[in-house]
Amino acid sequence: MTTSEEARARETVREAHRPRRRTPPWALGALKLLGLAVVVVWCLFPFLWMAMTSLRSGADALTDPDIFSGPFGLDNYEQVFGLGFQYALRNSLVVAALTTLVCIPVAALAGYALARLPLRGRFLVLALTLVATLFPPVALVNPLYQMYLELNALTGINLLNNYLGMVVPYVALTLPLAVFILATFFAGIPREIEESAKVDGATPFQAFWRVVAPLAAPGVGAASILTFVYATNEFLLAFSFAPRDLNVQTVPVFIGTFQRVGYENPIGQIMAASVLVSVPLILFALVLQRRIVAGLTSGAVKG
Amino acid sequence: MAIRQSSENGRDGRTGGVPAPRGGGGGSGGGGRTARGGGRPPRRPRRRGLGERAMGRIFLTPSFAFMAVIALFPVFYAVLMSLYEIRGFHQDFAGLGNYARALTDPGFYNAALNTLVFTAASVTLEFTVGLGFALIMHQAFVGRGLTRAVILVPWVIPTAVAAQVWRYMFDHNPGFVNAVLGTDVNWLRDPVWSMVGIIAADVWKTAPFVALLLLAGLQTIPKDYYEAAEIDGAGVFQRFWSVTLPLLRPAIVVALLFRTVDALRMFDFAYVFAGYSNSLATLSVYAQRFLVAEPRLGYASALSTVTFVIVMLVGLAFISRMGRHMVGDTAREVKR
Repeated sequence: MTTSEEARARETVREAHRPRRRTPPWALGALKLLGLAVVVVWCLFPFLWMAMTSLRSGADALTDPDIFSGPFGLDNYEQVFGLGFQYALRNSLVVAALTTLVCIPVAALAGYALARLPLRGRFLVLALTLVATLFPPVALVNPLYQMYLELNALTGINLLNNYLGMVVPYVALTLPLAVFILATFFAGIPREIEESAKVDGATPFQAFWRVVAPLAAPGVGAASILTFVYATNEFLLAFSFAPRDLNVQTVPVFIGTFQRVGYENPIGQIMAASVLVSVPLILFALVLQRRIVAGLTSGAVKG
Repeated sequence: MAIRQSSENGRDGRTGGVPAPRGGGGGSGGGGRTARGGGRPPRRPRRRGLGERAMGRIFLTPSFAFMAVIALFPVFYAVLMSLYEIRGFHQDFAGLGNYARALTDPGFYNAALNTLVFTAASVTLEFTVGLGFALIMHQAFVGRGLTRAVILVPWVIPTAVAAQVWRYMFDHNPGFVNAVLGTDVNWLRDPVWSMVGIIAADVWKTAPFVALLLLAGLQTIPKDYYEAAEIDGAGVFQRFWSVTLPLLRPAIVVALLFRTVDALRMFDFAYVFAGYSNSLATLSVYAQRFLVAEPRLGYASALSTVTFVIVMLVGLAFISRMGRHMVGDTAREVKR
């Protein structure tokens, strides 16, 4: 049967079945929209609560659950900046950017090697990489802390309360996933493109650097974003290696360990800080939506 | 993953396992170059640049050296420390004493139980809600773009921040959750209800992530299968049970793997909600407690090693079931 015949036959059968469907199409459409509304509300209402609470000031804000009752003002934001939250934002940005800048080039090399170059035990290496993505950070806290102390005693280099003290373990923890994502993307680039570059006289390295690497830009983008988000999200190691010093303390530590000053409930200030870090991250996610989804689902789905 | 099944390119077979002549250099002699060089066989083509085999090793070295020094070595270092009783500057060899102590420590069993309850409940709920969301998003056409955008919001908000937001929503003052539910529960003090609280917060944050993974899986199922099932008289539920679920299995296993492992090593929610107190202490929190709150480094190392082993064993159990599927595609792509 040709395709058009097949389609026609299927259409006929479907027509025959149609009367059995009881739900009218408009109700189905309404149901779908309702479902989407549930998803949207689920994702946004804590953010709405956070934003409204951050804007409320005065005693009512601490005891009245109605988030739309004022008075409203920007006091909480002023106070949070007074506590030095801008430094935490800067620190998170620097740590995440450094982590990404170190992790991605290193991971790109390994990803390319795993996807393309002749290697013995490739399957084993890929499987080990996958296993390494599961590494629990808590296993690193104490030994790395001791290693930092030893390093300081031996060389005078102090990694505690230092950006690098966070960047180093972040790179180690994000490398496996980045390698895996990049290997998947490299494997998807048609091999013929490299072949023709080599036919034209490129060395294997030139074929990688000039021809394949630019084509892998979407994969590099996806891996970079996931690495960046991991580094902005990480709490346990930052909390262990840079707990209090405002020069290096990152946002999750600032917010996660927010102490109440005196007897006052710091709810408004915490929410103001949360809004200040969430808004740029949400915009970041919206702009780079496609890349993020591509990265999250690469390797997860057989296509 | 775009996987090409076959290729007529003669060179591909050679990159597999067969060692290329003269190290890596020979491997780069592609079809085109052989044809060109064919006219003057006596002159061996000079090896230019890096050979592929050498390049492969050089490219892998930085990643694996880094992971070995910063992740693998510390694990062994922690195992070593776990064999000592460390108090201040005194270190006494204790053998497996710290592990034996864990086996008789009610706090350890409490932490293990908390971790188990949290993992079982949060992963089950995340999977259920995530699958529901994925099906909704897969069905809908109007408003699809908006939903796909907002679904990333919980994912991108840092866990410690989400934890504070949820903690204050549960808090007695201002009592937002109580007002919405019409209840009067002390969510943060009561050990059972505070566990419900962190499970709710974690489900909120990661169900959308599960939905994204499952949605990507749903999109790979050909529409013909549903039509065929419909023609054969399968109802909505039968189609879901016999077509969707089996074909979605790889995506489901991946989502469950990531969520289970992440729940087992969870620290942020429990710590922000309850600090080091026993009511919510997970294995990670309990290990951390003996580093910071009551320093006993040997015991802390034993606890973190146990956590490491549990997380890795569960992860390996998953990967051994689906690893060939996940890794296989990328590996096969090269082997062809």
